[in-house]
Amino acid sequence: MSVVTLTINDKLVSAPASATLLDAIKEQGIDVPTLCHLKGLSERGGCRLCVVEMEGSPKLFASCVTPVAEGMVVRTHTDRLIKYRQMMIELLLAERNHICAVCVQNGNCELQSLAAKLGVTSVRYDYLCPDLPMDASHERYVMDHNRCVLCARCNRVCDEVEGAHTLDMAGRGIHSKVIAGMNQAWGTSRSCTSCGKCVQVCPTGALFKKGSSAAEMVKQHDFLLWILDGREKKIWRWS
Amino acid sequence: MATSTNSKPRLATVWLGGCAGCHMSLLDLDERIVDVLSLMDLVFSPVADIKKFPEGVDVTLVEGSVCNEENLHLARELRQKSKLVVAFGDCAVTGNVPGMRNRLKVNDIVTSVYTDPFYREGPGPVPQAEGGEIPVLLPKVVPLHQVISVDIYLPGCPPSPERIWAAVNAILKGGPVELPEEMRSFG
Amino acid sequence: MAQTITIEPITRIEGHGKVTIHLDDAGQVADAKFHVVEFRGFEKFCEGRTFPEMPGITMRICGICPISHMLASAKACDGILGAKIPPAANKLRRLINHAQYVQSHALSFFHLSAPDLLLGMESDPAIRNVVGLVQKFPDLAVKGVRLRAFGQNIIRLLGAKSVHPPWAVPGGVREGLTSEQIDTIRQGLPEAFDTTELAVDLLKDNYDSFKNEVKTYGDFQSLFIGLVTPEGGLEHYDGLLRVMDAEGRILESGLSNDRWREIIAEAVEPWSYMKFPFYKPAGYENGAGLYRVGPVARLNICDFAGTPRADRELRQWRRLGHGKPVSSSFHAHYARLIEILFSLEKIQELIEDPVIFDTHLRSIAGANESVGIGIMEAPRGTLFHEYHVDDTGIIKKVNLLVATGNNNQAINKTVQQIAQSYMN
Repeated sequence: MSVVTLTINDKLVSAPASATLLDAIKEQGIDVPTLCHLKGLSERGGCRLCVVEMEGSPKLFASCVTPVAEGMVVRTHTDRLIKYRQMMIELLLAERNHICAVCVQNGNCELQSLAAKLGVTSVRYDYLCPDLPMDASHERYVMDHNRCVLCARCNRVCDEVEGAHTLDMAGRGIHSKVIAGMNQAWGTSRSCTSCGKCVQVCPTGALFKKGSSAAEMVKQHDFLLWILDGREKKIWRWS
Repeated sequence: MATSTNSKPRLATVWLGGCAGCHMSLLDLDERIVDVLSLMDLVFSPVADIKKFPEGVDVTLVEGSVCNEENLHLARELRQKSKLVVAFGDCAVTGNVPGMRNRLKVNDIVTSVYTDPFYREGPGPVPQAEGGEIPVLLPKVVPLHQVISVDIYLPGCPPSPERIWAAVNAILKGGPVELPEEMRSFG
Repeated sequence: MAQTITIEPITRIEGHGKVTIHLDDAGQVADAKFHVVEFRGFEKFCEGRTFPEMPGITMRICGICPISHMLASAKACDGILGAKIPPAANKLRRLINHAQYVQSHALSFFHLSAPDLLLGMESDPAIRNVVGLVQKFPDLAVKGVRLRAFGQNIIRLLGAKSVHPPWAVPGGVREGLTSEQIDTIRQGLPEAFDTTELAVDLLKDNYDSFKNEVKTYGDFQSLFIGLVTPEGGLEHYDGLLRVMDAEGRILESGLSNDRWREIIAEAVEPWSYMKFPFYKPAGYENGAGLYRVGPVARLNICDFAGTPRADRELRQWRRLGHGKPVSSSFHAHYARLIEILFSLEKIQELIEDPVIFDTHLRSIAGANESVGIGIMEAPRGTLFHEYHVDDTGIIKKVNLLVATGNNNQAINKTVQQIAQSYMN
C-alpha cells in the first residue's frame, strides 16, 4: 500500500494513497462537518460542508471527493471556511420548510444539530417557503419533500446497498426532488422492497416511518456497515 | 449591566404572533422568576397593564413572529426604545409554526376559512382588515431579524427555563450571551 | 360628537385582543366590542400533513393550554385510527390534563387575576401585576408560583417538557411514570391542597367587596355548553355534550362528540378574526344562540363534581345562582379554584391506580376512518378538533373551535356590560 504525505493544519501527516482527503482529515481526529457523506455509501460531494482550503488554489475543495496527493497543504477551519459552512446550513434551512419544533425528527436531526454545532443563530436569507407535497402512499413510510436537503443518501443506499434503485433524483438545481420509480406515487412502485434503508440513512425528517408524531423518529445507520462488512469482508455480526 | 439611570435594568417582554409558550417557559423559572424580578424592573409585558411601550428599555424579550402590520409597528417601536433586543423563541428566531402559512397565499387562506361552509355555517361577511379595527396580515410571516436588528437569539419551542436562565444571567452580568451548543438548537 | 375609545393591547389575558368603546353624541356608551386581532391560519396550513403530526402542530395554538390541544388532537387521531386506546394511556392522559388544569388555573388566579382581587381594581396600573403582588404579598405569590409549578412538573415528568411536550400520540401516549416519579407527585400534593384552600378562603373572605363586579362582569342570562360524564358529573377530558339554559333546563343531554355540528354553527363579523359560534337551534340573530363555556358553564351543567372537597365547595358555589345557574362570569374565579381542588383530588386518585403502571401504552393502527373528532374541556372551555383525511392519512380538512371562540359572543356582551356600567 503506497503512502503519501501531506500537511493538514500545519501538521505533516501520512495517508494511504487511495484515501480521500476527508478520510485523512478524520484520521487526525479533526472534526470536519459532513451531511451528504455517509460511511458505506459512495461519495457525492453535494452538500459542500466538508470543504477545505488548499495552498496554491483559490478554489475550495470538497474533501470527501478529493483524493489525497503528495505534498498537499490544506486547512480545515479558517475563518472563511467557518463562515461558509454557516452559510451553507442557512441556505439549506431557507430553501425548504424546516419547522424543527413540529418535525418528526426534532432532537435527532443532523441538519438541526449541525446548525447548533456550527453556531447558526438565525437564517440571514429570505425563506423560500415552497409549496411542496408529502407522499404518504407507501404502506410503511412517508416522504416529505419539505424537509429534504437533497443529500441523495436515500438514492445511493437504495441503489448501492439494497440494489433496488427505486429512488432517484428528478429536476435540476433548486427544482430537484427525490422521486420513486418513474416519478410516481411511492406506494405504486413495484421495485421498492419496503426495506426502509432509505429512511434510516435520511439525515432529516424527510423520510420517516408512517405514523410518527413530533420528535419520535430516531434513525440508526449502523446496519450499513454490518451489511457491507458481511458482503465484502465476510465479517458477520449477529446482534 | 450598565443602565442609563444606574438603577435596576429595565426589562420588557413582548408577545407578537405566537402562542405565549415562551412566556410560559419564562414563568417556569418558578421561584427564580422572583429573583429576576428583583434584579430588573418589569416595565412592559403581557402580564402587566402598561399599554404603551416605554422609552429607555434596557432589555426586551420578543416572543412571536411578525405576522401582521401591528406586529411590524410594535417591532419597530421597541427597537427604537430598547438597548438589547432578544429574539425569544423559535417564532421570533425562524418564523416557526406561524410561518407554515407561507406556502399558501394569505388571501386564499382568509377567504377559505371565512366563506367555506365547512368552517362556518352561520351568517356574516369576511373580516375586514383594511380601514377596520383588525390588522392587515402580512403576505409572509417573517422572523424578527428580517424587520429589525436583533442582538441576541434564544431559540427553542419554547426555550427551556434553563436556556432562559443562562441568557438572563449573561445579560445581567453585562457579557455577551454565548450559549453552549446544546442550548442553541432550534425546535 | 360620536367617539371611539380604543383599549389596546388587552393585558393579562391569554390571547391577542383589543377593545373599542363607541360613544354616542351624548357621550353615552352605544356599543363596545372585543376584537381578536390575531390570525394564524392553522386550519389551512395543516392541510397536506400526515395526521399523527397534528398533536405536535396544534399544541402551538396555545402555549398556556398546549395539553388541551395535544389531547383533543390525539383524540381526533384515535378516531381516525378507529382504535381503542389502552386503559393506562387513558388514565395517563387524564393525569396530564388535571396537571394542566392546576397550572393554568393557578396562573389565571395568582399571576393574572390576583393583582385585581388583592391589590384592588383601582390600584396603580404600574404595579397592578404579578410583580406588585410579589412585593405586597410575597408569601402568597410564592405559594401561587409553586402551585403552578406542581402542575407543570407533572407535565414535565410525563412529557419531558412543561410546554409543548411531544407526548400524546394517536392511539395512546409515549411514556408512563416510574414509581419514583409518582412519589415526587405524591409528596407535592399536600402543599398544593393547602395553597388552593388558602386561595379559596382568601377569595371568600373578600367576596363582599366585589358586589359591583359580580353585577357587571358578565352577569346576564345565557346558555351553557360543556362536557359531562355519562352519569352527569364534572368532566374535563372526555364525555358527552350537554346544553343548559339560563333557567337550568337541560336542552341537550348525552350528545356524542360526533354530533357537535348539530348544536353549534359559526358566524363571522367583519371586525374580528375570531368567529362567533352560536347554539344552532336558537340561531345567531339578536344573540339568541349565545352560550358560555368554561369554569362557570362546567360547574353549572354538571350534576356533581365527584370528589369530596370539590363537591363541598360546589354546593356553596351554587348558592351564588339563587336557585338558577350561576350567571355572573365573575364567579369564574371561585369556579377555577374548585376545579383545581377537583384536579388535585383526581391526581391523588390516579397516581394510586395500579393500571397506570401497565406497559401497553399505545394502540397501533393506520388510517381506518376518514373523519376524526376530538372534544375536550380546555381550562377556558370546550375545545373542538375535527380532521378529515384521505386513504393515506394526509389531512384534507381541519376545523378547530377553541374555547375563547366559543365564548366570543359572551366576551363581547361582557365588555358592553362593563363599559355601560362604568362609563354611563
